[in-house]
Amino acid sequence: MASERGIALAGLGGSGPGGAILYADVERAAAGAVSGPAPTKRLDLKEMRRAIAAAMARSKREIPHYYLSTTVDLTSAFAWLEAANATRSPTQRLLLAALLLKAVARALGEAPEFNGFFTAAGFQPGSGIHIGTAIAIRGGGLVAPAIRDADKLSLDELMARLRDLVTRARSGALRSSELSDPTITVTNLGERGVETVFGVIYPPQVSLVGFGIPVERPWAVAGEVVARRVLTATLAADHRASDGHRGALFLADIDRRLQSPETL
Amino acid sequence: MTRDDITAVLIEELGQIAPETDASRLDPNAELREELDIDSMDFLNLVTALTERLAIDIPEADYPNLATFNHAVDYLAQRLAIAE
Repeated sequence: MASERGIALAGLGGSGPGGAILYADVERAAAGAVSGPAPTKRLDLKEMRRAIAAAMARSKREIPHYYLSTTVDLTSAFAWLEAANATRSPTQRLLLAALLLKAVARALGEAPEFNGFFTAAGFQPGSGIHIGTAIAIRGGGLVAPAIRDADKLSLDELMARLRDLVTRARSGALRSSELSDPTITVTNLGERGVETVFGVIYPPQVSLVGFGIPVERPWAVAGEVVARRVLTATLAADHRASDGHRGALFLADIDRRLQSPETL
Repeated sequence: MTRDDITAVLIEELGQIAPETDASRLDPNAELREELDIDSMDFLNLVTALTERLAIDIPEADYPNLATFNHAVDYLAQRLAIAE
């Protein structure tokens, strides 16, 4: 790309990790903008910590959170995933995270009061379902860039977006619009750590859905106690925008959708 | 490909995922995911890289065989032997 635009890489300052020259650096040089704010979010951990501090302090100061929790049986979801992945090469394999994101996206279609922003004018529904996906950064901090129109993506498309976002988040190559787009945030603790996350809403959003790690637990099925892999799903929501009853229906709908992974 | 070659490939690919990894301080019998703070996406990227570099198949059902560094080297050597 640099040679296409007649730019010498040797003369460029890199803003990537270890001074790596990013696509954006070349773009900036091509546009002739030597100085000025970078169009991408660089991976500055101090700056990230400050941004998290400001957003979370505002959230706890302004947003009257309420919290709901439910336990989701993952037997169907894992059985479906294992069968799907058995015939796929690693580049095509799906993670549980893709199913969780899709279930949230589809459930939001029926629960618009959890998708959008709370402003001085009150609740404003989002113009689409853009899920901010919390991604931990090595060395500390996190970012939650958007998977836009997540409800309209197939599981494969969603997985590809997720893979791309995680890679770019960790290399500091996110576009700033990706960080301002989300209409809701989903935090997924993955496979290690703890069972339950009590989310802090990212303002001006109005809800955060959290997934703990899948754990094996005794579970009653048709009068028998069996070992099942389950996960705790939580909802932190803004009481100015919704009530617990609607929140409970939303969370239960996410659970219901995860019981039929083939329909996601 | 010798066991040393496989070890070198594994160290290199772990370094791609966890750049701060100091291979000399890695406990070869510890759980890699814990030791290197690898999440499921990192792990999938590691499997993808290993299958491409070593030209072997690593089914999802075999993931437990990659739990520690030593187990992973054993497993990869075995898969390579089958592939050859």
